[in-house]
Amino acid sequence: MKRNGTATTNGAPRPEGAPRTKGVQLTMTLDGEKVAFTRGETVYEVAERHRREIPTLCYDPRLDPFGGCRLCVVELEGARNPVASCTTKAEPGMRVRTRSAALEVQRRILMEMVASENRDTDVDPMHGYASQEMAELLDRYDARTGRFEGALSGTSRPDDDNPFIKRDYENCISCYRCVRVCAEQEGDYAISVMNRGFHTQITTEFGGLLKDSACTFCGQCIQTCPTGALGDLKALANKDVPGETETTRTICPYCGVGCTVDVMTRGEKIVGVLPAMDGPANEGALCVKGQFAFDFVGHPDRLATPFIREDKSGQLRPASWDEALDFAAGKLRRVVKDHGRRAVYGIASGRAPHEAAYMMQRFIRAGLGTNHIDNCSRA
Amino acid sequence: MPRPTNDELVARWKGEPAPLLPLLHAFHARDGHLSEDALRAVSAGLRIPIADLFGTVTFYHHFSRDAGGFDRPRVCNGPVCSMRGAEVLVASLRAAGHDPMTMPCPGRCDEPVPVIHRGTVLTGRTAGTLVSEPSPLPPTPPDGVEECVFAGIRRAGRATLAGYREGDGYEALTRAVTAMKPEQVIEEIDRSGLAGRGGAGFPTGRKWRAVADAPGEPKTIVCNADEGEPGCFKDRVLMDHDPHGTIEGMALAAYATGAVRGFIYLRYEYPETFEILEGAIAVAEAAGLLGDGILGTDFSFRLMVRRGAGAYICGEETSLLNSLEGGHPFPRNRPPFPVTHGFENLPTVVNNVETLASAPPIIVHGAEWYRGLGRGDHAGTKVISLSGDIARPGNYEVPIGLPLRELLHDWAGGPPHGRTIQAVTMAGLSGGFLAGADLDVTLDEPSIRSKHSFLGAGGIMVFDDSRDMIRVTRESMEFFAEESCGKCFPCRIGTQRLVERLEGKGPATLDAWVDEVTDLNEVMKKTSACGLGQAAPLLTESLIRYFPDPVREHVAASGNAAGAPPAARLGPDDAGPPEKG
Repeated sequence: MKRNGTATTNGAPRPEGAPRTKGVQLTMTLDGEKVAFTRGETVYEVAERHRREIPTLCYDPRLDPFGGCRLCVVELEGARNPVASCTTKAEPGMRVRTRSAALEVQRRILMEMVASENRDTDVDPMHGYASQEMAELLDRYDARTGRFEGALSGTSRPDDDNPFIKRDYENCISCYRCVRVCAEQEGDYAISVMNRGFHTQITTEFGGLLKDSACTFCGQCIQTCPTGALGDLKALANKDVPGETETTRTICPYCGVGCTVDVMTRGEKIVGVLPAMDGPANEGALCVKGQFAFDFVGHPDRLATPFIREDKSGQLRPASWDEALDFAAGKLRRVVKDHGRRAVYGIASGRAPHEAAYMMQRFIRAGLGTNHIDNCSRA
Repeated sequence: MPRPTNDELVARWKGEPAPLLPLLHAFHARDGHLSEDALRAVSAGLRIPIADLFGTVTFYHHFSRDAGGFDRPRVCNGPVCSMRGAEVLVASLRAAGHDPMTMPCPGRCDEPVPVIHRGTVLTGRTAGTLVSEPSPLPPTPPDGVEECVFAGIRRAGRATLAGYREGDGYEALTRAVTAMKPEQVIEEIDRSGLAGRGGAGFPTGRKWRAVADAPGEPKTIVCNADEGEPGCFKDRVLMDHDPHGTIEGMALAAYATGAVRGFIYLRYEYPETFEILEGAIAVAEAAGLLGDGILGTDFSFRLMVRRGAGAYICGEETSLLNSLEGGHPFPRNRPPFPVTHGFENLPTVVNNVETLASAPPIIVHGAEWYRGLGRGDHAGTKVISLSGDIARPGNYEVPIGLPLRELLHDWAGGPPHGRTIQAVTMAGLSGGFLAGADLDVTLDEPSIRSKHSFLGAGGIMVFDDSRDMIRVTRESMEFFAEESCGKCFPCRIGTQRLVERLEGKGPATLDAWVDEVTDLNEVMKKTSACGLGQAAPLLTESLIRYFPDPVREHVAASGNAAGAPPAARLGPDDAGPPEKG
């Protein structure tokens, strides 16, 4: 699907303002304005840098340009038809119009067509990060007209009882962002496109359940879905929790990668997790734990006090922090005294924050005098 | 022969170029369908993710995933066969104990109705009268008409190497590799004015030069023999009766561009053609005309045939390349073009059968000769596949610029007795209809494009005045909807919505109906990603242009069906689409 030989734009530095290139400055004309670009940039990227707000549905800046939704078409001087700006490379001297009466009519008709194939045009934002994209464009183009009424596309999979990913393909518009993110970003190739034309359907191998496929439940497909055809079931379970959703930018506590997340809360309750597209370590990626495993925070089984294991009975009993720390310190001192400082080995938890890891190694090195210190994230 | 194991089949194809399709065909033929076990073996053997492989297999019409699927007879439901009683044949097959399924046009419109059963093409009108025969030869042209690709095709034995060599066979290749520089070959083709005969009309010499000049090796020649356009069956007759013409054309293209490998991408629906080509290639290799050290020189060219599996879009050259590579056959975004990023992202010539078959006569007789075959200022010839309501259907190689009416009436005998021609299609179905005074066009792109259509691959279907043009349009649009790949929105949704409106499910007022259909037409033409979506609306556009009264009656009838008073739904005073926001 992505073997067109076009150099990808992924990973290329996104120029801020007028980019500099070695030698001659490359320029093109955008809506009558002469603008600079760097080689390899697409017309869409140049236009977005100049805030043209070209509509898209199949576009995700992390993925190879696909050219499916055709909403991003622009008028290119010398071309018979409008061209998709996402797949068209900027060329010196190119003259492009990103808005015209004709383009706006075409985009509106395309949005009316898209709306006509779905059961719902509005979904709860708890479905996922990009879930409002289609609805916002329908509003922008005043496209909730009911024209082009006809058969709905897509077959939902209520039989897939996995606890994380809602597969509601009656709201799918076949942009294939889910398939592409699974292949290009995750490298899982768990899902693909079956059939043709209006009967295209997102599928796993042999049309089975996600748990029987190569899916790792990272949730990336959910977060790139522009219609809510895929939904975050963990977040949706909280959609009726009262209160406004607040998001808090933080770092995922699970491992040493340090993925940036936006934790959604209502009152004191965590209601969901969104990946941060601008997170320096993850650029929007998460794994099943960071995406879905937040229930432990408020879980009743969670330990609320330290425990001390009695020497004689071997049973755990609740203790105060002072008591527990004194107990641990005493035992550590005893080991060093009896067996030497190299008998101690510290392993910091990958789930502890960076600062705690730092303190841990200070404690082991300066406090106990050994360099036997590591972190479980190295495994 | 013992039944080959999974491992044996995988081992047979694993190291070959473009192995996926032949490997799938091998499993399909062995098991009668593509089982989960077979797909898992292919996935592991060729290292293709299983979900991708599964999705791609479902893309092709003729790969069956159900046990026994290979045994189901497939009956053409194209526009011409539909008029000739395809439904009767389906019923007849069912009565005879078969489980028939329909298929889009398999390119036998001069001899309806074709059926593919267990990999063999049969023709006939009832289950009991089906016969397997070679595809018909082209009818003889009027006296004094000089042909290019058909010049030797009616001679007995032409398909054999000896028969081919009785004419000028392999004279062009011999002359090229022994006495011409590659650039001279390109120059000659360039000066002849030969342009892509698959329909796109790109100048062949320029394409070859672009590949010759492009960096990157190995280079590849791909012959597009995926003749999927309904009403087109010209490439089949060329390959069936003159296979060495295409093979020699490919070898010339390889010599001119520096390519060392070639593929004929042959549509599934031509199984006999596959055997003919494989045989001809083996004979040519044995004679030193293909393979290593051709004709004693250091020029080498390995030629292979790969069969499609039933997908019209694979005739689009970038879909074809994806299919050949074993990927999902969506069209690629262009640029870059195949001349620089083709098969396996390397420089590739993709030419139609007729284009390649034209090259040897041009090299033998010269560019001036070929240019002179056209009428007026037009260079060369074009094969037209003519079918439908016409006395002598078949393939005609016409001088470019020939008046359409001359072909229809003088060459092919006109409509059936007592009938008049109501409409013809152009470019198979892709050019929509011409009717009325617009039948006065000449057969060249400038003339036909001035009527909002195009000549394309040269399929012309004729509909006499007894035909229901709404039904013809609906069945034609059903083809495009069935074959839309699903990559771009305007085509995927638009073809479906046009079918529904032709079925009478759309708006019940004439203004709203025309408004919606016109909007769909425009958006599909302007924004679709490839030729399929851009061309499909020419059907509905020309329907509205030429047949306003049938359209009016059709909408009125669907209005009745919807239970609304018809009087309120017609006429100039109609208020228009009430639901429009």
